[in-house]
Amino acid sequence: MTRTDQPAATGADRERKRGGAGMAAGPKPGRAALGWLASNEAGLLMITLLFVLLFSQLTAGFTSLFNLYALTRVLAIDAVIGFSMMVVLVTGGLNLAAGAIGVCGAMAAGWFMQALGLPVWLALPLALCVGALLGALNGALTVWMDVHSFVVTLATMSIFFGTMILLTEARAFSDLPPGYVALAKTRYGFWSGLLVVTAIVGVLLWLLFHRTTLGRQILIAGANPRAAAMSGVPAGLTVIVCHALSGGLAALAGLMLTSRNGAALPSMAGQLGMDWLLPAFLAPILGGTLLTGGTVSVAGTFLGAALVTVLTNGLLQLQVGEFWIQAFLGAILLIAVALDRLRAVWIERRRVR
Amino acid sequence: MKRILTAAALLAGAGAAAPLAAQDTRVGVVPGGPHPYFAAWEDAAKDATAQLDLVAEYHVPAAWDLSQQNAMIESLVGQGFNAIAVFPGDASGTNATMSELKDFGIPSVAIGGCLQAPTPAEFCLGTDVYQSAYLGTKELIEAMGGSGNIVHLTGFLVDPNTSLRIDAVQKAADEVDGVEVIQVIADIDAPEPADEKINAFLAARGAEADGMISTAWVPSVVAATALRNLGDKRIRMVAIDHDQVVLDAIRDGFVDGTMLQNPYGQAYIGAYALDLVRGGCTVKPDAPFDTTAQTDMFIDSGTAFVDASAVDTYQDTMIAVTDEIMDGFKDTYMDCPE
Amino acid sequence: MSDQGVTMPRAVLSGLRRHEWLGLAAVLVLGIVAMAATQPAFLSTYNIYIMLTAFSLSVLIALSQMVILAIGQLNLSVGGLGGLAAVIFAGAMDVLGLPVPLAILAGLAVGLLGGLINGIVTWRTGLNAFIVTLATLSIFKGVNIGLTEAQPFYGIAEPVKWFGNARLGALPALLLVSGPVVILTGVILARTMFGRHLLAVGGNQQAAALSGVGVGRIIVLAHVASGGLAAMAGMLAVARLQLGQPTIGDDWLIVSFAAPVIGGAVLAGGHVSVIGTCLGVAIITLINNALVLLRVDPFAVQLLLGFLILFAVGLGRVRSGR
Repeated sequence: MTRTDQPAATGADRERKRGGAGMAAGPKPGRAALGWLASNEAGLLMITLLFVLLFSQLTAGFTSLFNLYALTRVLAIDAVIGFSMMVVLVTGGLNLAAGAIGVCGAMAAGWFMQALGLPVWLALPLALCVGALLGALNGALTVWMDVHSFVVTLATMSIFFGTMILLTEARAFSDLPPGYVALAKTRYGFWSGLLVVTAIVGVLLWLLFHRTTLGRQILIAGANPRAAAMSGVPAGLTVIVCHALSGGLAALAGLMLTSRNGAALPSMAGQLGMDWLLPAFLAPILGGTLLTGGTVSVAGTFLGAALVTVLTNGLLQLQVGEFWIQAFLGAILLIAVALDRLRAVWIERRRVR
Repeated sequence: MKRILTAAALLAGAGAAAPLAAQDTRVGVVPGGPHPYFAAWEDAAKDATAQLDLVAEYHVPAAWDLSQQNAMIESLVGQGFNAIAVFPGDASGTNATMSELKDFGIPSVAIGGCLQAPTPAEFCLGTDVYQSAYLGTKELIEAMGGSGNIVHLTGFLVDPNTSLRIDAVQKAADEVDGVEVIQVIADIDAPEPADEKINAFLAARGAEADGMISTAWVPSVVAATALRNLGDKRIRMVAIDHDQVVLDAIRDGFVDGTMLQNPYGQAYIGAYALDLVRGGCTVKPDAPFDTTAQTDMFIDSGTAFVDASAVDTYQDTMIAVTDEIMDGFKDTYMDCPE
Repeated sequence: MSDQGVTMPRAVLSGLRRHEWLGLAAVLVLGIVAMAATQPAFLSTYNIYIMLTAFSLSVLIALSQMVILAIGQLNLSVGGLGGLAAVIFAGAMDVLGLPVPLAILAGLAVGLLGGLINGIVTWRTGLNAFIVTLATLSIFKGVNIGLTEAQPFYGIAEPVKWFGNARLGALPALLLVSGPVVILTGVILARTMFGRHLLAVGGNQQAAALSGVGVGRIIVLAHVASGGLAAMAGMLAVARLQLGQPTIGDDWLIVSFAAPVIGGAVLAGGHVSVIGTCLGVAIITLINNALVLLRVDPFAVQLLLGFLILFAVGLGRVRSGR
């Protein structure tokens, strides 16, 4: 979509991302350190810590146990939503239907557990499969119709969500097994137990992209589908795999949110699931995953989600006047991405010198 | 688990496990999102703070979104609020947050709309959406002279209340011979599609329709404007809520009436009741609660059909209803220690 | 991900471009004939007026997006900016009591300014417009909510109300705004240096820069134009609704993308069609109208709409020979 967007920046960007992804072992240690500092992950970590410091000084409530617990729980879910978008961004595509698939997965799980009486250990994997299947459908349509996944998922967002509404008549499943609902209430110190799920998913995703052939093929195909196809990488297949993975991750986020809400709700991601779009895109993009495809940063996506969650929570604590919070959040995000960009360019220049 | 959480609450200073009368009650009054309906809640919170021995603050989630509402409530708890009066972002979904608050010793009530039972909220003080839609349709049928075709305009299908409203309108129509719901137009909470779809209906089937019932805010406003633009007084209409456009249309005879709710009373009485609960009162199990499709702990905050004769005095009516509920509230619904 | 046409011979491509909207026109005519044959009310003056009203509004939303698609970017803030311009326009009349022309200027200024911000930030930082407009969407919507506290502005001046409701037979007065705007946009894209440069930047930014096109200026101007179009759409919505609703614009995202894409816009940039976009808007308007007229179960409306968009896009692919 935006391959021709900023070609001049893109090449340098990609180099920078590669360097940041833990492969920055340059000839001199000083350079390696600079390389790490130039990475998105480092920038995000610093900005996030800065805001944590700021909010903990300015507000009494920010560092309270309850708040940190609530914050990390939101973070756990939003990071998985971000992962769900990230794995499609890698292919140079988008998944506008992530929210719709998440809701479909959650409602499927609710139906399995409440209406069919399936045990949790069976219902949850099945629901993930539903999500993966819907995602695979997105991928297959994208490849088969040869249109940008933006267009395909714009339509399937409506189709998936519409089917869900038609089947459920917007009725929630609120009689879920207590063990499943209790999952979202687990707590270690001030960390929400859901972060464990997110961490496991993150590690698996990292292994996929950095340690497997499939992962390498996805990255190559995402960077340049034509070249990849010529060198024997099944580009079409990687697109379908990524969309299926995205669907599965969206469903997982839906299941985590369902556990947190104590019920499978048609409304949990808003009309057409569009309430998820902001967290879905912000986390990976702040984290350095490029819209043009071919790059991925699992840690960056997590840190991106962390920054957004901290900002949202902190602004609420600051009581800046709720009606203005959305405007503040947007402005700070804009400044954050712009600053991050300037910082990277600056360090890039010094490193070249 | 509960013990840990309670300890956490103590550490966080978020509120004690047992309600302490000595500590000031700080009520967070939280609507579902930014919406004109809730404007009166802000006044009610200010008045309750001024007139009662408590602090009530009105806090709006940045968007109409359950997760944002949850985040807002969680942050209020972090800020030391120790009682929450909430319009449920989702009738089922808000229960999880309320039950966590309860674990922290923070009582909650559902105001405006109800939470689906079983619920940790003390009770629901609001409008029975089913009953309101049902009564509104009854009024419409009466205005139509007892027979004819009805079109039902309503909001987002993803809101579980929308299904209740559709069923209620259908039931009211089914009960009268010669009345039929010929079309339901839903998902028109955004003004532009509402304008497009309502007018398309009027163009295509306006001649067939004898009455319109609207059970959502935006469709009420848009339909009232559409009838005014057409100069159509043949089609009877009953709307919902108190948008100025709707009230003007009632005065000018384009709309027969509107199903009014009592937002001011909901927030005011809600804050008052939460203070009682924090003072050690408990809800009487045998209190005269009503039963609705969602809960059997329902207190009607006042629903009234307002037509042209009452449109200029409806606020007095609602104040009277509020006073009436307030008067006997403590004795009727609460068991309080001496 | 696939930039259509890059590998196609130029002659074939231009041939397709010239006639690609014929297929869409055929679909539209087919739909109109089918509706007219089965629904007598469809061709009633009032229904045509209603459809043209919806068209007048949606086409500005679609053009606002199309201008950005032309340079190979996406603008998520169209609805946010249109909504903000709408409440500023309404608020200028209601709260400040400004005369209508000044209120229009105020609304338009907000749109242009918002577009300018989008454009300058996108160009200056080199950030993807998608992420920039995702953030500014939040800002515009946030300022809207902050200013209005979710309360509508009711005091719309009578001439504006009159204009939103005036019609000559089936022709809404709103067409007096959107008609010339559509023609002007078409002429600018096809006949002016700016239009050519716009598409050149979208087609291949580096090549455009090498051939002396001021890429930055073009990107900023495209965003300014997009903002202006969104503001016009917002103000027309106010005139139509006779109310400054803060929720104006919340629902624009899908139509803004669906119409240009159905109309043959390529997301990679460099290729958009004003006629195609108009036909896309017309088809979506027709679908929305048909779903009401045919009494489709409301629970199935969303599902059908999705299928129809997918179908229309698929048709576009067949049409363009891929």
